[in-house]
Amino acid sequence: MKLKAEFRDRDEMIIYLREVFAEAAARSPEVAETRGGRCAAEAALERIRPERYASSRNYLKGAVTRLAAYLRHGVLSLEEVRLEALRRGGPKAEKLVTELAWRDYWQRVYRRIGAGIWKDRESYKTGWRTSDYATELPTEVIEGQTGLACMDAFAAELRRTGYLHNHSRMWMAAWIVHFLRVRWQAGAAWFLEHLLDGDPASNNLSWQWVASTFSTKPYYFNRDNLEQFTDGLYCRQCRHYRSGCPFEGTYEDLQARLFPRMPEAR
Amino acid sequence: MSKVMVWVHGDSLRPGSAALAKHPEARRVFVFDDRVIEGYRLSLKRIVFIYESLLEIEGIEIRRGDVAAELAEAARESGVTRIVTTESVAPGFARISERLRRDYRLELEVLTEEPFAGIGKAESERMDLKRFSRFWQPIKSRALNLNRSLW
Ligand SMILES: Cc1cc2nc3c(=O)[nH]c(=O)nc-3n(C[C@H](O)[C@H](O)[C@H](O)COP(=O)(O)OP(=O)(O)OC[C@H]3O[C@@H](n4cnc5c(N)ncnc54)[C@H](O)[C@@H]3O)c2cc1C
Repeated sequence: MKLKAEFRDRDEMIIYLREVFAEAAARSPEVAETRGGRCAAEAALERIRPERYASSRNYLKGAVTRLAAYLRHGVLSLEEVRLEALRRGGPKAEKLVTELAWRDYWQRVYRRIGAGIWKDRESYKTGWRTSDYATELPTEVIEGQTGLACMDAFAAELRRTGYLHNHSRMWMAAWIVHFLRVRWQAGAAWFLEHLLDGDPASNNLSWQWVASTFSTKPYYFNRDNLEQFTDGLYCRQCRHYRSGCPFEGTYEDLQARLFPRMPEAR
Repeated sequence: MSKVMVWVHGDSLRPGSAALAKHPEARRVFVFDDRVIEGYRLSLKRIVFIYESLLEIEGIEIRRGDVAAELAEAARESGVTRIVTTESVAPGFARISERLRRDYRLELEVLTEEPFAGIGKAESERMDLKRFSRFWQPIKSRALNLNRSLW
């Protein structure tokens, strides 16, 4: 079936797509502000700051590039971004080029394992068996109705913008897999519905890295960590700050709580 | 009119992709894959992003359905037997490629983009991919120094 390829403007295109892709629109009607296309991609490439990236990328307000959706869909090539990063940053582009290399690495793994990307690469190193993890995401997580200001905000942002900062993705994944004890596959599938950069390789393998099925230990975080890199934005407004924050505690506390059966936990 | 047709897919939406750069005059077709959209339950915003990217590829023809069947139909319309595309690592890409060749008897040429840090497929096959560090250590200086002359 042939589709229309000429429109007066973006709005007209969106109205058309809502009709033609009615099932997708019924599932999630949001349209992101991020523009597709080579022009927008080049403008984003023009804005990268490799040196500031290196010092600030872990902060939600840091100088991240937001190039992921363009890279994922080949609107920009990874090699052209690498060269541009080096041209601008020279040796100071090391951090950014290393992150680009992560994408390249996941792609090369994907080439090798194909559909195996949905299977645990290794067993969990958490002391739990795969069968100890739930297979479905709780609805409150998807709807952003858990009462945790941070996670509810991330869920809403994911749905509205199709983007999450790398650190938010890591926190959310760690929360789902380790705190809620849900299989990484359920979270990964949810991210792929919404992320404009949603890519089975980078996404699933990052989830597996967090879960510990593609790394030597699980990734998890505590509230101090989240509070620091978000500048306290969510914690300040969270009704669980004083009591009931699941992320509160030292890493030792959390490890004992989350992974009581982990061999090294005691 | 060119004797080939370019298959544009969602992993390669650059107007200057390997296939489009080599055949600037050829008919170029993109097909939204119903299996992918429903399989991944893709949201409208992803479709909008892809669509908007497509519209910047001059002369793009956008279709929807079964990718191999749609491409074969477009090829038949133009009397073309050779399709050119840019490589993707996705298993779905391999599946569709296979069907174009086997079921539709079309010739398919797959071009590759400039690889990251010059690491081609042959080298990649020999690499230890067990962990990122094992992949990165041997190529790190190459990936960072290639352009030293420009610094
Ligand atoms: C649970 C989880 C799921 C993820 N899912 C995806 C996904 O579906 N698609 C995707 O492209 N990335 C994914 N990532 C990786 C990373 O979070 C995003 O690439 C990054 O946040 C995108 O924002 P940016 O373009 O501003 O990145 P920047 O930090 O500015 O990085 C520049 C580019 O480098 C690449 N990159 C950076 N960090 C990583 C990384 N850790 N792994 C792979 N590539 C990286 C991306 O292409 C990115 O655009 C995921 C990470 C986690 C923890």
